Amino acid sequence: MNPIYERFPWLLMARRNVSRTPVRSALAALGIVIGVLAIASLGVFGTTLQYSVTQNLGGIGNDVTVSPATDHGVQYLTDRDVREVRRAVSTDVVVPVEQGRGTVTYGRSQTIAPLYGIDRPGGIFTAADGRIPTPLRSGVLVGSSLADRLGVRAGNSITVNGKTYRVKAVLEQQSGISAVNANGGLVVPPAAVGQQGYDQIVVRASSARTANRSAMAIKARLNRRQTRVSVFEFSSITKQISNVFDVVNYFLVGIGSISLVVAGVSILNVMLMSAVERRQEIGVLRAVGYQKRDVLVVMLTEAVLLGVGGGVVGVVFSAAAGLVINQVILGDPTFTFAPTNLGFFAAAFAFAFVTSLLSGLYPAWKAANRDPVEALRS
Amino acid sequence: MSERESPPVGAERSVRVVETRGLTRTYQSGPETIEALVDVDFHVERGEFVAVVGPSGSGKTTFLNLLGLLDRPTAGELYITGEDATALGERERTRARKRFIGFVFQQFYLIPTLTAQENVEVPRLLDRDAETPKRAAALLTQFGMGDRLDHRPDELSGGQKQRVAIARSLINEPRLVLADEPTGNLDRTTSRRILEEFQRICTEGVAVVAVTHDELVEEYVDRTVEIVDGELTA
Repeated sequence: MNPIYERFPWLLMARRNVSRTPVRSALAALGIVIGVLAIASLGVFGTTLQYSVTQNLGGIGNDVTVSPATDHGVQYLTDRDVREVRRAVSTDVVVPVEQGRGTVTYGRSQTIAPLYGIDRPGGIFTAADGRIPTPLRSGVLVGSSLADRLGVRAGNSITVNGKTYRVKAVLEQQSGISAVNANGGLVVPPAAVGQQGYDQIVVRASSARTANRSAMAIKARLNRRQTRVSVFEFSSITKQISNVFDVVNYFLVGIGSISLVVAGVSILNVMLMSAVERRQEIGVLRAVGYQKRDVLVVMLTEAVLLGVGGGVVGVVFSAAAGLVINQVILGDPTFTFAPTNLGFFAAAFAFAFVTSLLSGLYPAWKAANRDPVEALRS
Repeated sequence: MSERESPPVGAERSVRVVETRGLTRTYQSGPETIEALVDVDFHVERGEFVAVVGPSGSGKTTFLNLLGLLDRPTAGELYITGEDATALGERERTRARKRFIGFVFQQFYLIPTLTAQENVEVPRLLDRDAETPKRAAALLTQFGMGDRLDHRPDELSGGQKQRVAIARSLINEPRLVLADEPTGNLDRTTSRRILEEFQRICTEGVAVVAVTHDELVEEYVDRTVEIVDGELTA
């Protein structure tokens, strides 16, 4: 005999019983397959969406902006504030920004656009066309949508507030949420804005965690005596987005779970039928010395076999579905095996196991407790 | 039925395999009480082959169920190998069935998904005894089924199925084999072969009690008792 059956002898009987009515067993297991597939692939789908959206947000979570605390009468940030911020965060990129508006003329088109006076814009912007000089002294950088509108390219000359500058670079398109969104504006040398002090300081850290640490350090240093600055962490936005996706994910998985419960009902049905059909056979087992508990174990093993069989097939199918989903949405099929997704696979399988066990309980109990005399009466 | 004193411990030969005193079984059907079995005194010696005959509904199967510890008497006493089994609980009766009693049924009741050999192993299957398969094969070989070990029940004839069933009843080395119409579904020639097998079992010291309608059985037994309207007549 097979060593597994030697170890777990009731498994032999349960397995043979399951294969006795192959179509019926397969259908019951199919219910579980669908349930597991629903839970796991919806879970994976949710994770993929979440990942894809946070990917699109890019490193926004790494940004912190420091603005003057206008509630406390602070109108602008000074060079001293910038120095304090630099000291507080030491390793991060610190970019002070002055904001204003200006009339921009290129050829025959004229428009009013926001101006961002930044000395070293290379820390927070990337060029789509041309090169970003450090420091920015004589030229300007044009935001992508403004460049589109005016038809400006790197190397052209452009007039801002009556003064002509060379366009050093056209900036890359930025996502909707960013510390300084210069899509529709110009990055100019600070002198071109000509304001007193700075409107904000952008601090870019290497990760959301260091960004958080920097934010704390800045608050501690600058607001020690009186509140001078307000600090905004962009990671709070990504956190909120993540939370929304978590809720969506749980909702999707919850819907998937319903199908697994339905699958459990179908196992219950199959096991009840099986218990009725095998009434006499179970009577014989009881007659030849099987305790009630033994019959219960055999019947439960049958139900669990359906659940585990369906669960394994379901997980394999969900992994396949996950590969497809991730290939299509992220272009990276291996993301299917991210820890969160493995968690969904495990949870779906565990749910299948528990569902089948619970579904088998009543029929098994019924079969085990039937009076053998009654069962053997033909 | 006069020897009522208990035999000394260890005097194996003189111990009656099964003995009943005043065994009674009644059923309650609404306000009516149905007496299925009334005051039955009965015993079987080691190696004895006894037939229980009687008309349908006379209480034969009830009697067999009581002897087989599948049912509990309403009154009276039941001893298995000298030990009082009247008041045993569910679990103990199940354990005693396994230890002392083998069953053979008219419809064989083999498990269709298991092979002949696995069917014989069934009563011991959960014991994880490495010897069981060998013993099952040996029993089947004794019954001339050595070449059918791996056959499923639907690949066997009626007589072959009954031989598998008898082998199954013997796997636990019982003292008593209870057979309910063991030849009921078999033709005459096959019936004779099955009855010869029962005789052979008896020569090995196992007692056999067969409930039957079949007059052929009476040719093979040591003794026949009759039950009419729940009462036993020798």
